[in-house]
Amino acid sequence: MINDLFNILLPQTCLGVFISLQLILAMIISPRFFNSARIISLIGIVLSIILLTTVQTEPQYFAFNNSIMSDSYTLLFHFIILLCSFFVVILSKNICTKIKQHSNVFQAMILTATLGAMSVISANDFITLFISLELLSFPTYFLIASSKGYLSKEASFKYLITNAVSTGVFLFGASYLYGLTGSLNLSEIYEIISEGSQSLIYVFAGLMIIFGILAKLAIFPFANWIIDVYKGSETSVLAFLSTVPKIAVFGILCRLLVFALGNSFELTFIIAIVSVITALWANTYAIREKNVKVILACSSSANASYILLASCLVSVYNLSTVIFYLICYVLINIATFAFLNIAESNNNFVITEDFKGIAKKNFSISIAYTIAILALAGFPITSGFVAKIYLFSAIAHSGLIFIPFLIAILIFTVIALFYYLKLIKPLFENVEKSTLLKTTFSQDFVLFITIAVTIFIGVFPEKLIEICKIIAYNI
Amino acid sequence: MDKILSIPVLVFFPMLISFFIISPLFTNNEISVRRFTKTVLSLHFIYSVLMLVFYNSSNPYETNIHFFGLNWIQSMGINFSFKIDNIGIILTTLTSFIFLIASLASKMNIRKNHKFYYSMLLLLMSAILGIFTTNDMFVFFLFWELELIPAYFLIGGDWGSRENDAQKSAIKFVLFTFFGSMIMLLGILLLHYYNYITTGTLTANFENIFITQIPDGIQYFISICLLIGFGVKLPIIPLHTWLPDAHTKASTPVSIVLAGILLKTGAYGIYRFNYQILEECFKTITPILAILALVNIIYTAFVAYAQTDIKRIVAYSSISNMGLILLGLTACNHTGLSASVFHMVAHALITAGLFMICGIVYLRCKTRNIEILSGLANNMPRLFGFATLIVLASIGIPAFAPFISEILTIISALMSDLSNIIKIVAILSLPLLIISSCYMLKFLHKSFFGEQLEAFEKINDITVHEFVILASVVFGLLLFGIMPQTLLNIIG
Repeated sequence: MINDLFNILLPQTCLGVFISLQLILAMIISPRFFNSARIISLIGIVLSIILLTTVQTEPQYFAFNNSIMSDSYTLLFHFIILLCSFFVVILSKNICTKIKQHSNVFQAMILTATLGAMSVISANDFITLFISLELLSFPTYFLIASSKGYLSKEASFKYLITNAVSTGVFLFGASYLYGLTGSLNLSEIYEIISEGSQSLIYVFAGLMIIFGILAKLAIFPFANWIIDVYKGSETSVLAFLSTVPKIAVFGILCRLLVFALGNSFELTFIIAIVSVITALWANTYAIREKNVKVILACSSSANASYILLASCLVSVYNLSTVIFYLICYVLINIATFAFLNIAESNNNFVITEDFKGIAKKNFSISIAYTIAILALAGFPITSGFVAKIYLFSAIAHSGLIFIPFLIAILIFTVIALFYYLKLIKPLFENVEKSTLLKTTFSQDFVLFITIAVTIFIGVFPEKLIEICKIIAYNI
Repeated sequence: MDKILSIPVLVFFPMLISFFIISPLFTNNEISVRRFTKTVLSLHFIYSVLMLVFYNSSNPYETNIHFFGLNWIQSMGINFSFKIDNIGIILTTLTSFIFLIASLASKMNIRKNHKFYYSMLLLLMSAILGIFTTNDMFVFFLFWELELIPAYFLIGGDWGSRENDAQKSAIKFVLFTFFGSMIMLLGILLLHYYNYITTGTLTANFENIFITQIPDGIQYFISICLLIGFGVKLPIIPLHTWLPDAHTKASTPVSIVLAGILLKTGAYGIYRFNYQILEECFKTITPILAILALVNIIYTAFVAYAQTDIKRIVAYSSISNMGLILLGLTACNHTGLSASVFHMVAHALITAGLFMICGIVYLRCKTRNIEILSGLANNMPRLFGFATLIVLASIGIPAFAPFISEILTIISALMSDLSNIIKIVAILSLPLLIISSCYMLKFLHKSFFGEQLEAFEKINDITVHEFVILASVVFGLLLFGIMPQTLLNIIG
């Protein structure tokens, strides 16, 4: 028990300690010191990043009766999750100034969700997975509802209902799998499945489990919540929602597809169809939209569906592309929301036209935002381009039968470019009066660091790809 | 000399300068930005001419760029490898020349946002040079996509005299090209994948692509995917609708670049992929392509005749000429290839001249409508002289370069041993020479002859600056018209 703790659980424990600290401080600290909440969170996250070095990865380590595991794969994902939370906490200054006395609770919720996401990645058992998923989603209801106004409450409630339904679906699938194999442990299920022949009932159970998890990413049957949630939430919360759950879900999804659910063609095919439907829905929805956040919601859903398509065609090559795409994508997304955060803290920018002529007086941040959007669209010199061709090559390498899906996705990227251009076009329009946006050091820091990394990966991608390949090989 | 002349300098030097200009380090003074760019582009032109002079076809320039000792994306076999062949060396020099002309022409047309404009111009130049020199499919695609960003800003940007709908045409251009390039990406990915199956190595180098074992159906599919990608850029007829808008709404130097160089990247792509790699496939579908080329040549020539905007006439004549380049490629013989490349050079010079004339007329008369313009020859005798020379050149009068390329194209198509359809197309496309003289002479006649209108009484003739541009274009046309061997020898 103690061994387990010291071998792999130190980062998570550290987060747990800081969560408790925040909750205690929430009761005793004066609202005047609301800024300290962010600092404490940052210290907690940095500490757990440092503690990641203590985690044993070689060979794989199983703790708590095989219900939690750790290897290089989980380590990488933990690192990305903590990094994203780090940026989100930095960006959360706006909302903390607004909700002052609750900012400690707010920070505690971000840390809790981060802890949940980390546990999702390291889960090796359906019970652990279920609890971790709930740990990830419960704080997010609070986070969404934390901004003022009716919209955010409605969004939070919708998200709650969707998640409740999807959790039910997930548990239903897991119970089927338990009935079929007599075990809830991923490794044991894998052994049992790989021995016997696969029947359709396995596919059914697998689909239930996967759709239950995928609801967090707004994939087709549970897609509609994302519009309301993005409309109602603060940008820093969105920066969290669009990155951390995505990493967690894809992290566990790849493992599930490789291990527990085997490699059945029916499953792959159905997931591929669903992902294309999601991409179709998201991209066509965004064409008519004017609200910036809604456009980004659709882009988030569409990107998730591209990753899903590549990850359901299980192979080492595909896994490495999925990991690479995820890393590039979350960094670009954080940059985008950092810019929106700057805009939000200055004024209420809602629709694309509100950004008219911003570039005239705020050239550098406008250029950074433009680079971020172009990276989302997949233009060269950014990591988006490399990620795009790498991911698409993975789909092309999966056989002729998936070529129609690839064609569909390629056409969707053209549609996507149309709404991405809508986001950046107004910035460079000529106006009489341009407002100067006030930025804080922390916002600039997040925006320019993520953009710099995006460009760096775009120019020198090979090192990161190699890491992704090694990780994918080790899974 | 070989050590001084390297491809990375040729390709990435403009890009670095572009980043330098847009950075806050560089001064905001418009005159210094312009002069700096002009100097850089002149140096670049000299450098590319040196490369042309010292070019040796048995030992072409070749280089590999490594990043920290690694290939660019080792895992996919993507390599920043560059190689300039006979055609590449001509097109890079041409690119350098056209951009120099465009930067000279910018003096009169660009009045705002100088830093951003020149930075984008240089970035576009880098991207196009990359397309002409790379030896790797994905790097080719990278530059192909990269050129969209500066081209979008150049067409749609506000440089002081933006026309209505300029942004709309810019978006149209970007969406069309992006659609084409996505379909092209599919072709490249399939080529990459099947080459991996055949040879067992992941590589994207043009020289290491073997298609012998790809099933026929897939080959045709790849071929058509790539053709759609290049056909948007070239443009081949049903995919051409972006071109007239983009070329007309853009300012003069941007139009020069677009028509002069950007369209040639499509033809170069067809040469690089379809003509070289997927040769067998290309030979089978050439009859269809030849018919499309004929439609390009004849249909757009008629459309050009119906236009009233002089810039639109030139834009449609570009599409018509691109049909001729396509016809040269479909002949699938060596003469055809030479004719195509020759016509690329000739057409680049001609459109540069014609768009320059349109720009000069528009700058002084504030209109491009052929019905309104009249009697410009009275006040602008020198412009009239140049306009006559360039218009005559474009309709294929001997002693000018287009004469050689048009004749060569027709001859090569007649010599083609692939299919009789190509020969018939060659014969049918002969009326082009008549129709093109119709619209070009209409342009010359309506705007320069006739009685002088009061509105245009006070306009001035061309300045020394404009004289230099037009004179260099005419010099080029005459040089290659009288001594075609200089160019044909390099093509080999």
